Amino acid sequence: MARLKKIAQRIGLRGLSTIVATLLAIPFAWGGLIGFYAWLSPFIMLNSVFLLKSVVWMNGVAFFVLIITFFRKRWFCRYLCPVGWSCDLVSSCSHRKNFSVQKIPPLGKWMALSSLVAAFAGIPLFILLDPMSVFNGFFAVFSGEMTIAAIISLLGLPILLAAHLFFPGIWCAKLCPLGGLQDEVVQLKKLINRNRIIESEPRQKADSGRRLFFASGLGLVAGLLLPRFLQSEKRNYICPPGSVPASIFDKLCLRCGNCIKACPTGILKHHTDSEDITAWMIPEICFDEGYCLENCNLCSRVCPSGAITLFSPDAKRQLPIGLAEVEIRDCLLIQQTECDRCKTACSYEAITIEAEGGTFQMIPIVDPEKCVGCGACAVICPPETISIIPSGAI
Amino acid sequence: MKRRDFFTNVLLTGGAIGLGVSCGRKIEPSPAKTEVALSNLPSGDGKTITEPAKQIPILAETDVLVIGGGPAGTAAAIAASRAGAETYLVERYNHLGGLWTGGLVLPLLATHAIDKQKKAKQVIFGIGGEMSKRLKDLNMSISEVNPVIDPEAGKYVLDEMIREAGVKMLYHTWGANVIMDGNTIKGVFVESKSGRMAVLAKVVIDCTGDGDIFHWAGETYDEMKYHIGLVHRLGNIDRIDTEKPGYTKMEIGQPTPIPSVNWVNMHGQNDQDGVDMLNLSRLQMEYRREIWESVQKIRQTPGYEQVFLLDTAPQLGVRMSRIVDAEYKLTLEDTMTYKAFDDVIGVSGAWTTMLYKGKKVRKTERPYWQIPYRSLLPKKTDNLLVAGRCFCFEQELVEDTRIIGTCLITGHGAGAAAGLAVKEREMVRNIDTGKLKKLLTEQGAWLG
Repeated sequence: MARLKKIAQRIGLRGLSTIVATLLAIPFAWGGLIGFYAWLSPFIMLNSVFLLKSVVWMNGVAFFVLIITFFRKRWFCRYLCPVGWSCDLVSSCSHRKNFSVQKIPPLGKWMALSSLVAAFAGIPLFILLDPMSVFNGFFAVFSGEMTIAAIISLLGLPILLAAHLFFPGIWCAKLCPLGGLQDEVVQLKKLINRNRIIESEPRQKADSGRRLFFASGLGLVAGLLLPRFLQSEKRNYICPPGSVPASIFDKLCLRCGNCIKACPTGILKHHTDSEDITAWMIPEICFDEGYCLENCNLCSRVCPSGAITLFSPDAKRQLPIGLAEVEIRDCLLIQQTECDRCKTACSYEAITIEAEGGTFQMIPIVDPEKCVGCGACAVICPPETISIIPSGAI
Repeated sequence: MKRRDFFTNVLLTGGAIGLGVSCGRKIEPSPAKTEVALSNLPSGDGKTITEPAKQIPILAETDVLVIGGGPAGTAAAIAASRAGAETYLVERYNHLGGLWTGGLVLPLLATHAIDKQKKAKQVIFGIGGEMSKRLKDLNMSISEVNPVIDPEAGKYVLDEMIREAGVKMLYHTWGANVIMDGNTIKGVFVESKSGRMAVLAKVVIDCTGDGDIFHWAGETYDEMKYHIGLVHRLGNIDRIDTEKPGYTKMEIGQPTPIPSVNWVNMHGQNDQDGVDMLNLSRLQMEYRREIWESVQKIRQTPGYEQVFLLDTAPQLGVRMSRIVDAEYKLTLEDTMTYKAFDDVIGVSGAWTTMLYKGKKVRKTERPYWQIPYRSLLPKKTDNLLVAGRCFCFEQELVEDTRIIGTCLITGHGAGAAAGLAVKEREMVRNIDTGKLKKLLTEQGAWLG
């Protein structure tokens, strides 16, 4: 026990936290705990809550962190943040010991503020820069195949760390929106506490106030105007069940890869779209090797931003993600070969095998009312002649 | 405070207040609709009449009695007889091979599966393997994997093997009821042109496919309604004139070992009761008409004038009906994980794509799977074995358990077990599975 304590002291609380965060971020059978650290970030939580105007129980975790931060300055950064730990590690290897972050403006604070205001109006501007999202996104690539989108998701953290070789300490102090948010919360505390400490540099204070004013105003304008320009067309690919409409999804999704890592059948992939750059790296369903299980809601449980709305497994029947379409020409039944795989695979009784024109020629018929697009029929079909076409999001 | 400071902070606190008024977010299911159960159609109006009790002549007292001469029953009778037991085989039609020959379901599925080194491997050996080899030697089967056979050659080969094994054959005879002594089966009443007779036996093997014997013996079972079809064959396939003006390609089924003959599968109507005689009669007549009309349509197509309906299958294609509750229920997981059983009686193959834990397993990736002796042993009745499509398995497995290859394997296993039980003077429930495996190996079976 004493030995353990010694090791713990040596690594430090934040080091231990980094180990835990890494373990939970690795695509492993953690179930609902996968990528848990994203739930700890108040920045993600506030963006999500401001945009969706609703909460899930798990948001309480970040709210708790927020309250502690209120009393203990930058508590999350000092004791939990795995990105902070990594940044400090890289910074200590940097040769530019004389580099000072003092002169750099507190961009993180402004980003946090404008992002939250914009989120209220409809677009969480800088949610992608949340350190927990960047951290989790790094590990998402190990869950599936290498695509360009997956590699981009992988690159975030290394680029951030590499920057510290040249600008040690820059991220945590000045750029991180999560850090900025925590600083701003402390400001709020000062506002509530009327007997503030007398400003030693009133000039600088006023200056920063003006900038924050601009940041939030900019956020408001951006939130009101930007979504119109970024309005996505109807999707021609399939998103997880319970996904919010495409126009919000693309902006809200953290690209943290939690859903991709959690999916037990491994059908979620990073999306790449040459047409619509705003939808890059969001989760997309590919029914190549598996289908969307009838009793599974893992992706909705691990989504920290709420882009995938939490749903109960029983509600899955009401959350269609697509519609099965049979290319009859290649169906085995047309060739009078023994098959009824699609019908037996369907848990929703959406496929029947019916006579065509009163003869013994039978063909599979999809009932669009019952089909949820789970893909079981498409996956099992021996000649691979069933495809799932996307339906509108909820 | 400065106005802009105020504005900044109002925006932030506004957000915080927004948190307070916001509501919980979770999609719950809306209340489910209650489904109204469909009542079974009544057959007859419930009136009954008492059959007078009468003395029934005992046709024979034998060691092993096999009811049903399909692939399972034939393999079982040959195995039991070769193991030294006097064996009777009862068959209702005039041929052996059941749906394989009389049902015109000609492909022997599934002879192959993937071994642990991920290579395709033949798994059907033993008596089934012998049948397949003999047909190949006669040039009456095509393709190495899942061979398609000629039905008449099949009937001939099975007859010859039964004759060589010394099995006593009762054609044109139906199993009619069981003869029980408490929980032990003592024989079966059979019905034929010669009237009702009794065959007493030390071991009875239910190879009826529909599980008639275990049904009468009072076993519990799953009832499965599945599609029922009727296969037919077309002749003069080699005389189709593709050059003829107006020629369009028609679906004319799959090739058989006879170059001028094709066999045509039928999916048939869904969710049919395979043990309801009235239903079977209706389907038989509907299907015959449908086939006739479909062949006329083909014959009217330019180029197809010479094609003719060679035959419709003597047996209706009942794919599934009853599944017995036995000592072990074979699971999908067993078949996907190379599950090894101490009491393995054979290994079977895979022929179609399956889903396992939400993932796709192609037929070319499917493992071979062992079948345990316990899945042939019904729970209640002593000295009864079940082989063929009605042995004990999860319904997810039905595509692989109802096919010819698996029937040959379970039949062989049950026959050998019956032969061993007779020889050792043991109840079939108590036989030494080590000795059973040895006997099966001697008879050429492959146990994985």
